[in-house]
Amino acid sequence: MLAKLKLSELVDEIKNAIQGRFEGETFWITTQIIDVKKQAAARRCYLKFIEKENNLITTEIRGVFWSNYYSQLEDFEKFTKQNFADGIEITCNVRVKFHPKYGFSLEVLQIDFAYTLGTLEIERQQTLDRLLKENPTTIRLVDGFYRTFNNCLPLPLVIQRIALITAPNSDGQRDFSQELEKNKHGYAFSMKEFLTPIQGDTAHQLILQQLLLIEQGKQNFDVVAIVRGGGSQTDFKPFDDYELSRCVAAFPLPVIAGIGHDRNTSIVDMMSRQQKTPTKVASLLVDHNFEFENRLLALKDRFFDIVKQLMQKAKNDLKEMTRLVKLSSPDTILNKGFAILLINGKIVTDPKNIHENSQMLAVLKNEIIHSTVTKKTKK
Amino acid sequence: MKTDLTYDEAYSNLEELVIQIEDDSIQLDTLADKVKQANALIEICETKLRKIETDVEKASGSH
Repeated sequence: MLAKLKLSELVDEIKNAIQGRFEGETFWITTQIIDVKKQAAARRCYLKFIEKENNLITTEIRGVFWSNYYSQLEDFEKFTKQNFADGIEITCNVRVKFHPKYGFSLEVLQIDFAYTLGTLEIERQQTLDRLLKENPTTIRLVDGFYRTFNNCLPLPLVIQRIALITAPNSDGQRDFSQELEKNKHGYAFSMKEFLTPIQGDTAHQLILQQLLLIEQGKQNFDVVAIVRGGGSQTDFKPFDDYELSRCVAAFPLPVIAGIGHDRNTSIVDMMSRQQKTPTKVASLLVDHNFEFENRLLALKDRFFDIVKQLMQKAKNDLKEMTRLVKLSSPDTILNKGFAILLINGKIVTDPKNIHENSQMLAVLKNEIIHSTVTKKTKK
Repeated sequence: MKTDLTYDEAYSNLEELVIQIEDDSIQLDTLADKVKQANALIEICETKLRKIETDVEKASGSH
């Protein structure tokens, strides 16, 4: 009779064989992930690593992040601006574990962010290339910058009517509204909110829908602001979407993006006017209006300076005129010792009218001399 | 004067007034009128900057 083993004895042998081969070793693998189940409170995450061939899963193994390594997952989201979620490909360092009850699994010790960043960057570049290629009239690359129909649109002299795309009750919405309302110049703004989730798999479609809604009533707005708050959990992907980026690039109202990120620039940012945060978008609007008011007041000063000059000149002209009139007035002349000659009550200016024996009055300053002409001679 | 001027109209009207009074042939008796116009234009802009007209809010929908 053959010796029979208990199941546990066989499994123990398997375990020993595996440990003998894999104990103390770690491996770098590149793999797709699915069935990601994050347990943030317990700081654990269960998932599956898979490999596909012709869209069929050919290899699959369970994986886990224990609490010691959970921060890797958080850092991954922080640095790559991408959710750690089903379908993405990662490169990570794992060790092989075998449990008598749960079987094989790979414990994740580390994620290679650079790999994912690299993949994202390639995808992004592909989207940018496609945007350029398929939209030559609205998107051009000039000196390393994307010049789009939208970001070349001039801003109106004053911006007051704002279409705001943001997530409901978000930090971004609050920061933006507060900054506008408490602006120190007391400028008035009217704001209509177009609320939509701004993260997640369908966010880019939902944002696009809001843009199209705004476009229908574009005469009611000066600009579109797209804002969201910062934070480490921000998912960047919606703002790298081709369709959304294309719509922004050709949008008829200036779009100002405050998507809240310091490290990276999304494609939507490049297609529009980029400000880093919602607060900065709001200050841009306030400053823009302040600049207009300054220009207006400078023009006002110039106007009234000229008015003042004109009045001063008129006053000076009048003064000069008065002086001339005074200089030529009889009183001034008499004061200087000249006399006015009168014959028959008329002032004599032409000596031809004076004859010998003419009765002539010489009017001096205080007296009149009555005289008779006795002789006329040439000088 | 129209009070529903746009900022562009108001600003360019004011610029036009400046040009007019910079001209040497300005008649002094028209100056008072131009000062009045300039003041009105500035007033319109300053008011608009700080007070949104109600029809703007109406036009942008109800909320």
